[in-house]
Amino acid sequence: MKHDKIERNVGILIILTMLAISAGGLVEIVPLFFIKETVEKVDGVRPYSPLELRGRDIYIREGCYLCHSQMIRPFRDEALRYGHYSLAAESKYDHPFQWGSKRTGPDLARVGGKYSNDWQTQHLTAPRSLVPQSVMPNYPWLSKTALDYSDIQGRMKALRVTGVPYSNSKAEFDKNVKDFGEETAKNLHIPDAEKNLIAQAQAGNYDTNPDKLTEMDALVSYLQLLGTMVDFRKYDDDYFAKFR
Amino acid sequence: MEWLMWFTKFENTKPVSLVIFFGLFCGVVVYLYGSKQRGAQLESFKNIPLQDDDI
Amino acid sequence: MTTTSVTNTEQYNYDVIRKFAIMTLVWGVVGMLVGVYIASELAFPALNFDIPYITFGRLRPVHTGAVIFGFGGSALFATSYYIVQRTCQARLFSSGLASFTFWGWQSIIVLAALGDVMGYTQGREYAEMEWPIDLLIEVVWVGYLVLFVGTLMKRKQPHIYVANWFYVAFILATALLHTFNNLAVPVSLFSMKSYSLFSGAQDAMTQWWYGHNAVGFFLTAAFLGMMYYFVPKQAGRPVYSYRLSVLHFWALIFLYMWAGAHHLHWTAIPDWTSTLAATFSIMLLLPSWGGMVNGILTLSGAWDKMRTDPIIRFLIVSLSFYGMSTFEGPVMSLKDVNALSHYTDWTIGHVHSGALGWVAMVTFGSFYHMIPKLWNTKMFSNRLINIHFWLATIGILLYITAMWISGIMQGLMWRAFDDFGNLQYAFIESVAAAHNLYIMRAVGGLFFLSGMVLMCYNMYKTIKSGSTEQA
Repeated sequence: MKHDKIERNVGILIILTMLAISAGGLVEIVPLFFIKETVEKVDGVRPYSPLELRGRDIYIREGCYLCHSQMIRPFRDEALRYGHYSLAAESKYDHPFQWGSKRTGPDLARVGGKYSNDWQTQHLTAPRSLVPQSVMPNYPWLSKTALDYSDIQGRMKALRVTGVPYSNSKAEFDKNVKDFGEETAKNLHIPDAEKNLIAQAQAGNYDTNPDKLTEMDALVSYLQLLGTMVDFRKYDDDYFAKFR
Repeated sequence: MEWLMWFTKFENTKPVSLVIFFGLFCGVVVYLYGSKQRGAQLESFKNIPLQDDDI
Repeated sequence: MTTTSVTNTEQYNYDVIRKFAIMTLVWGVVGMLVGVYIASELAFPALNFDIPYITFGRLRPVHTGAVIFGFGGSALFATSYYIVQRTCQARLFSSGLASFTFWGWQSIIVLAALGDVMGYTQGREYAEMEWPIDLLIEVVWVGYLVLFVGTLMKRKQPHIYVANWFYVAFILATALLHTFNNLAVPVSLFSMKSYSLFSGAQDAMTQWWYGHNAVGFFLTAAFLGMMYYFVPKQAGRPVYSYRLSVLHFWALIFLYMWAGAHHLHWTAIPDWTSTLAATFSIMLLLPSWGGMVNGILTLSGAWDKMRTDPIIRFLIVSLSFYGMSTFEGPVMSLKDVNALSHYTDWTIGHVHSGALGWVAMVTFGSFYHMIPKLWNTKMFSNRLINIHFWLATIGILLYITAMWISGIMQGLMWRAFDDFGNLQYAFIESVAAAHNLYIMRAVGGLFFLSGMVLMCYNMYKTIKSGSTEQA
């Protein structure tokens, strides 16, 4: 009799279906927002500087995540090939995450510092000039296109709403000084975003062309940062295992 | 939110989900296959798609 | 006869179904063409032509969007409107709303494709559409829900046929998934750029809860609804067991939602989530095969139709592919298998054995049944249906064989050590080794695409010979 009613009443069918499809998500996802032990406590992880943020946006725009993962698994071969396995903490400021699902090309979680700026620029412009068997597209427009950073403050403000600690006031700035040190805190200050962005591009000279601030500058600055924030010499592996 | 934490302990999650969901599953099975009469009625619905051309 | 037919035209809204049906074919050709092109780009990178708009990274979401939401979505709108009207013996309760879902959905697909090539993307797989498009989807989807449920409510048949349950679950689940996976903060009201509300591990869990269940509800549950109507209709006999259909409906929709985290094995999420997801993935095999068995056994006692009726052959072979990929899926969700298969082409092959073998094949079979009925005519050529069947089957087999070989090869090469304990291969060696298999995959896709084009020709001739007025 019970089920007969379900079959005859759309409302009950809808409610029971909603219950059935909600259970899994509630049990698996909701706890992740409340359990403190999901994310390791490590030093060094910080939000992206304005230039790196624009680089990350370009990484997403070009769909890099469709062929490159940013998630090293805890296996011996991956440790040798890519480095220490990835921590949840390392992507805690990543909106959205870019762990990826496919390695048509190699993992990039720790590509930062492995190659020179020269190499990265040349490789992005014409990958097969350095790696003849590569199937990666050429991205010649990156070093020709001037970087548009007109809405950089808007971008940082949007991220601030999601919880990334970019500072917009003296009080927030002071807190960042305490959390990340003064050098980093300056780079996270929204009112100085354009100034900081230009300064980092000039100091880093990422696209090896000091005259022009291009999309290549931003993207390479992001790539060079990947996986370099945590100093793994400071931690014992048993410590990370606790969070798994 | 403490009670949510309880679910994250795998030694709790397993038996609880087993009891609740297996119970529900058994209920559905008993309902479907427990009574001949109801079974026959349920099976009669499978002709619905074949009736529409006559309408 | 004449009098009842006249009531038919008044009784059912076929107009919107015809529109969706035609767009299904259009998006099928477009989506598969882009698929073949990006497959070729991976074999011959020169095809990227240094043009930003057609690089692999930007075209790939165009491919997935056009086939999943354009082809699959339009097919589901068409068949759900067809089935709900005919099994409820009730007309769609609002023609205006029906029309709105059509134009709304088509503009979403076009806008999404434009956004993808221009680089406006959220950077989440299968949810690349930026926030303005997401809002439009939300509105159209609520319209779809209201229209579908409203039509169910004015049905003349007291019982709601099980195919409609699957469609209801699909509409509800898609609404839930879409809403939570696309929570984002736009840069400004006039900016196409937004940042997802969640970050890192939470964001990953949300995305793959969405990604997995888009497969589970959009590409599985809804197409099972299609199967539960068109297999019995084409076979001319009722489904094997109605009670089994009820049982596997509840089991399927409940279990699916737990399995998403198997896309994140060995990543930085807690182990218990991963283990739980693997457990449920294994259990999912039972309802999946329940559905397959129920569909295939519908034919018991009439097996000769497999030889004589190419439409039945499409439908039954699609169920076999469904059975195969729902077996492969749980196997790949085992952590030890996943350690090998994840990040490789094996995953791509698995998706396509489901998407081409199950989703596309069951759609082809259903459309060869439905389109002549919508235009009051008979299929132009049964022989062309038969040729389409073989083109599609050969295409799928080439595709998934290539991906199995390259996937397993990549997995093994990445973890191979030499006698001194060093890595045996540089990464690029695994890329080079896949070259010929990528060509084979593109050829397989070309086979499948040519079958799709043939279907369009067959349908064009059929529709031309038919009429929208009742004979």
